[in-house]
Amino acid sequence: MSGLEHITPGVLVILLIAGLLLYRELKRVGGGYQHFIRRIPGVDAVEGAVGRCAELGRPVVFTTALTEIGPVLYACLGVLHAVARKVAQYKLKLIVPQYSPEAMALVEDTVREAYRDVGRGSSFDPDGIKFLSSEQFAFASGYMGLIHRENAGAAFMFGAFAAEALVLAEAGQQVGAQQVAASVSPEQIAFFICTCDYTLIGEELFGASAYLSREPVQVATLAAQDRLKLLFVGLIVVGVVLATLQAWYPGLTTWMPDKLLSAGWGALTW
Amino acid sequence: MRIFTFLGGVYFFLYFVLPESAVTAIGMKAHHEQISNGFIVIGAMAVGLGIFNIVRAHGSRVVFQRPGWFNSFALLVGLAAIISATAVQWIESTRNSRDISSVQVLGEFATRITDDARTPPTDRVVPPLAQRIAALVRYGDERTELIESHTNLSVEAGTNGATSVLVGEVRERLAAARVKLGELRAASWERLTEDNATLLTQFSQDAAKLASSYSIIKRSHDAHSTSQKVYDFLFDGLFNQLGSAMFALLGVYIAAAAYRAFRVRTVESGLMMMAAVIVMLGQISFGKEIYENMPSLRQWLLEVPNSAAFRAIRLGAGVAGLMLAIRMWLSIESKSFSSGRK
Repeated sequence: MSGLEHITPGVLVILLIAGLLLYRELKRVGGGYQHFIRRIPGVDAVEGAVGRCAELGRPVVFTTALTEIGPVLYACLGVLHAVARKVAQYKLKLIVPQYSPEAMALVEDTVREAYRDVGRGSSFDPDGIKFLSSEQFAFASGYMGLIHRENAGAAFMFGAFAAEALVLAEAGQQVGAQQVAASVSPEQIAFFICTCDYTLIGEELFGASAYLSREPVQVATLAAQDRLKLLFVGLIVVGVVLATLQAWYPGLTTWMPDKLLSAGWGALTW
Repeated sequence: MRIFTFLGGVYFFLYFVLPESAVTAIGMKAHHEQISNGFIVIGAMAVGLGIFNIVRAHGSRVVFQRPGWFNSFALLVGLAAIISATAVQWIESTRNSRDISSVQVLGEFATRITDDARTPPTDRVVPPLAQRIAALVRYGDERTELIESHTNLSVEAGTNGATSVLVGEVRERLAAARVKLGELRAASWERLTEDNATLLTQFSQDAAKLASSYSIIKRSHDAHSTSQKVYDFLFDGLFNQLGSAMFALLGVYIAAAAYRAFRVRTVESGLMMMAAVIVMLGQISFGKEIYENMPSLRQWLLEVPNSAAFRAIRLGAGVAGLMLAIRMWLSIESKSFSSGRK
C-alpha cells in the first residue's frame, strides 16, 4: 500500500467511513453526550509538573522538536495550549524552542491565545518562543544550552523526534527537570521511557489534548478515531482468519483485506 | 486563510481520490508537477522572511547591547560568512560551468555545420557555409586562447603528479585543435566536399576531446580554489563536525540512560533488562559461545514482539493522524486554540 499515488476503491470506502464516523461523533458530542476518556498518568502529570515549577520558581520548557506542520503538530498544539494556560495562571516563564520556522508562527499564536484565554494577554512574552535551528543537531545543542542556562523545572517533549531525542531528554534529566514526553516515532519511545518521568506512546499524544481540554470537537475526534481503529482491528482479525483458512481454500486469497484495499479501479466489474 | 487551506486540500484530495485515467483526462496530471513546485516556491519565500527576522531580532540586540548580545553577534557573523562563502562558490562554479560548455559547443557547432550542409534545414535560414566556417574558426581561436590562459594559471598555481599529466594532455589536444583550425582556415568553403566534411568531423572529435580534458583540469583547479577551501572549511570542517560532535554525545547518554532504566526494581524493568541482555549478547560472537541459539533468539525478539509493538503504535498514530487531518482539512477547529477569533 505504500507509495499509493491515487486512491483505490477500498481506500475511498475507508476514507468515507472515517468522515462519517467523525460526523456522527461530532453530532453526538454536540448533543451533549459525554464520552469516557480513560486516565493517562502522563497527561495527569502535566499539571503537576507546572505546579512544581511554580513552587521552585523555575521556567517551563515545551518543545515540538522536529515536528513540521501537519496533524501531529496540531495534536501537540492542543497540549501546548493547556500547558500555556497553566503557565499563565501561575505567572511562570514559558520557553518554546523551535525547529521549524513555519510551525513557529502557529506555536506563537497558540501560546498567545492561551494567555488571552486566562486574561493574561499582556503577560505573553514572544521572546519565549525561540527559533533555534532547522538543523537537527544544532537544534539539539541549542536546546541543551537553553535547558541548562534557564534551569528548567519541567520539560515537555511532544511530537516527532529522531536521533536527537535522547540528547534533549538527557539535558532535562541533568538539571533535574520533571519531564513528560510523547512521540509518534516508535524508535525514540524507548529512549524517552529510560529518561523521562512519563512517556505517552503513539496515539496517546493525540488523546492528550482532548483529555486536557475536554473540548467537544477534540473529544469527538478521539471517539471517531477509536471507532476507526476498531474497524482496522476487525480487518486484521479477518485477515488472520482468511490467511489461515487459505491453506485449505486457496481461492480465499482474493478476499484478503490487503488485496481488497489495494485493488485498483480496473478491478471493478459490474 | 481558511479558504486557501480548504482549496489546497480539495486539490490534493481530488488528485488522490480520482482514478489516474480521470486525472489525465481533465489535464490535472500534466500540471501536477508545476502546481506542486508552486507550493515549494511559496515555502521557499519563508527563507527570505527568516533571514529578515534573524537580522532584525539579533541586529537590534547587538545594537542596543542587550543581554546575550555577543551570541547574537556570533550568529550574525556566522550567517554573513556562510552566505558569502556560498554565494562566491556558486558564482565561481556557474562561471566555470559556462566556460566548459562554451568549449563543448565548438565540436557541436562543427557537427551542426556538416549536417546543415548535407541536409539544408527547412524551418530556419542558414548562413552561407564559408561564413559559418569563418565564425567557427574565430570562435575556436577565442576558446583555445581561453583554455591556454586557464591551463597556464593552473601550472602557476602549482601542480601535483596527476595534474601535470592532465596539463600535458590539454596542451597536446590544444595543439591538435589549433592545427585543425589552421586547416579549416586554409581550405576552400565554396561547397562541402568529402575532404572538407572529413576535416570538420576530425575537428569536432578533437574539440570534444579537448573539452573533456579541459573540464577535468578546470574542476580540479576549482576544487583547490580559495573560495572552495573557505566553503569546505565552513561546511565540512566546522558545521558538519559540530553536528558529529553532538551525535557522538549519544554514546555516553545511551549508557547513562540505560544505567538508570535497567536498575531492576519492578517486573517491567526486569523484563526490559532481560530483553536488552539477550539482544546485546545475540549481537556479539561471544553470545553464541554462551548459548548457540542466542542470535536466533535476538532475531525473534526484534522481529516478533518488537515489530508487533511498533506496528500497533504506528497503526494507532496513523489512524489518529488521519482523523485529525480530516478535521484540519474541513477546518472543524476546536475552540481551545483559536477562541480569540470565534
